[in-house]
Amino acid sequence: MPTYLLFDVGSTYTKGCIVDTQKDEILAIANDLTTASIDIAIGIENVKRKMAPVLSKISIDQTLVCSSAKGGLKMIAVGLVPDLTLKAATLACYSAGAKVIGSYSFELNQSELKEIENAQCDILLLSGGTDGGNYEVVIHNAKMIASLAPKFPVIYAGNKSCQDEIVSLFRKANVDCVCCENVMPTYGILQVDQCRELIRELFLRTIVKAKGLSELSSIIDDIVLPTPMSVMEALKLLSKGTSTEIGIGDLMAIDIGGATTDVYSMNAHFVLKDNIGYKGLREPLDKRSVEGDLGVRFSAHNVADLKKDEPEYDHGMRDYLQQIQDNIHCDIDPDKDSVLAAWCTNIATQRHAGRLETSYSPMGVGYYQSGKDLRDVSVMVGIGGPLLHSKDPLSILEMTLSDPNHPEILLPDKLEYYLDSNYVVSCLGLLASRHPDTVVRLLKRNMEKII
Amino acid sequence: MEKSTVVIGVIGADVHAVGNRIIEFALDHAGFNVVNLGVMVSQKEFVDAAIETNAKAIFVSSLYGQGELDCRGFGDYCKEAGLNNVLLYVGGNLVIGKSDFEPVKEKYITMGFDRVYPPGSDINQGIEDLKHDLEIMD
Repeated sequence: MPTYLLFDVGSTYTKGCIVDTQKDEILAIANDLTTASIDIAIGIENVKRKMAPVLSKISIDQTLVCSSAKGGLKMIAVGLVPDLTLKAATLACYSAGAKVIGSYSFELNQSELKEIENAQCDILLLSGGTDGGNYEVVIHNAKMIASLAPKFPVIYAGNKSCQDEIVSLFRKANVDCVCCENVMPTYGILQVDQCRELIRELFLRTIVKAKGLSELSSIIDDIVLPTPMSVMEALKLLSKGTSTEIGIGDLMAIDIGGATTDVYSMNAHFVLKDNIGYKGLREPLDKRSVEGDLGVRFSAHNVADLKKDEPEYDHGMRDYLQQIQDNIHCDIDPDKDSVLAAWCTNIATQRHAGRLETSYSPMGVGYYQSGKDLRDVSVMVGIGGPLLHSKDPLSILEMTLSDPNHPEILLPDKLEYYLDSNYVVSCLGLLASRHPDTVVRLLKRNMEKII
Repeated sequence: MEKSTVVIGVIGADVHAVGNRIIEFALDHAGFNVVNLGVMVSQKEFVDAAIETNAKAIFVSSLYGQGELDCRGFGDYCKEAGLNNVLLYVGGNLVIGKSDFEPVKEKYITMGFDRVYPPGSDINQGIEDLKHDLEIMD
């Protein structure tokens, strides 16, 4: 059983840890400010230096890295109907750890095409139509995208009936196009696993090179995953466990960053209570959502705008927001940051959760659900700097709880809270497929319960 | 030949599920690809589903008497969404109380429906009409 050196590069801190899979032990943990804007390798060397006392005594069998450097994995999703194939495509991007920097429905027009051309995405995911369903729109969109002669690869995950035609028109235009199963093969059914795997492969094959990460190959053995995908793999294991190591059950997690906030929910089963109908696309059991307008630095203004009526939005807060706007690297006010983080948590979890709608009719009251019912989830995990640096992370995480004024939002009434206080979640996700038992045990041991 | 797709469902706040299942069964049996949206279906859901699945027809059911309100503007909405060639059929207890069927039918034709069926209609009649309208030979 080998010993691994694991890194998470690209976010505010470069994180590293050494894992002995034989003893199920984390031998060392260290982190250091990122050097992503200069050279990622320097950050890795800095972290290695901090771990030198341990490194000098052992031999490392493999070094693995997950990365969100250079803006992470940036994708554009194109679908047909916003609530159906476009939503399915977006969920597929998120589940692969990507950031969706543009999403387009129906027939693309020239101005949208211009946006796509200027957006500098890493991969474009094209979907549209159920299998045997609409093909005119997706063919139109394929032609439009091909006319750009894009440098980025295109994944086609739409109506299978016109797959051959689409592949051939992309080939003719010399576009790197790969296909996978339709993300919505029949109405309302989401199928993202193959697409997710393909995104990961493309990330390795083309993106890593494009982002200058391949220079790292002398120091590391493999860039395995985009960081959010690594986090997702780790959380999935923590929730579900393995055949020999029991997991902790259904959970939610939040990762608040400077520009975006990610929310995860991992469920063993799709919850739909008796006498409640379901509307729309069935969301995945392991769901990740990304709120591109919520964060404590670059997006602080947006967050505050959404919470203008709160008492915490006072003079002091307005001054702080101004400071952030003037200088994104201004001194952190921990109390104000905690308030911003709490707002991010509140809005992001409410957007992530499903809704229960009530309908009154001559026949009585009817209920239907859309999205995920998270009311029975009992564990919330906090990840990321703003939570770990806060003096009162509990007050931030508690903002996940259901709001009595909005009982239609399906969030839990009660939660147990944990923090990834040693920054190990993203790194341990790298070992998810190789040593799942070890990952479950180490995660359980390293989650700090907060009360 | 590829199966034609029909989107079916019970519109509005109506939760009558049984007839809808019978329609699904009969259409499936007759060789159609059925997308059943179930009960309490909004106009938007019908239209979205028909766009994605390239449906040839939408079968709207309404049993609770409020269909007239629920179906208002349905034909126009379909046209706006580009579903110009999709057949729209509606059937059930389409108005409250007992009244002559002819004026009811007229009302629904004005809303954009191609065929309107009174209470107690046989689904096989609807299927026969559909095959005729789509020029499907047995």
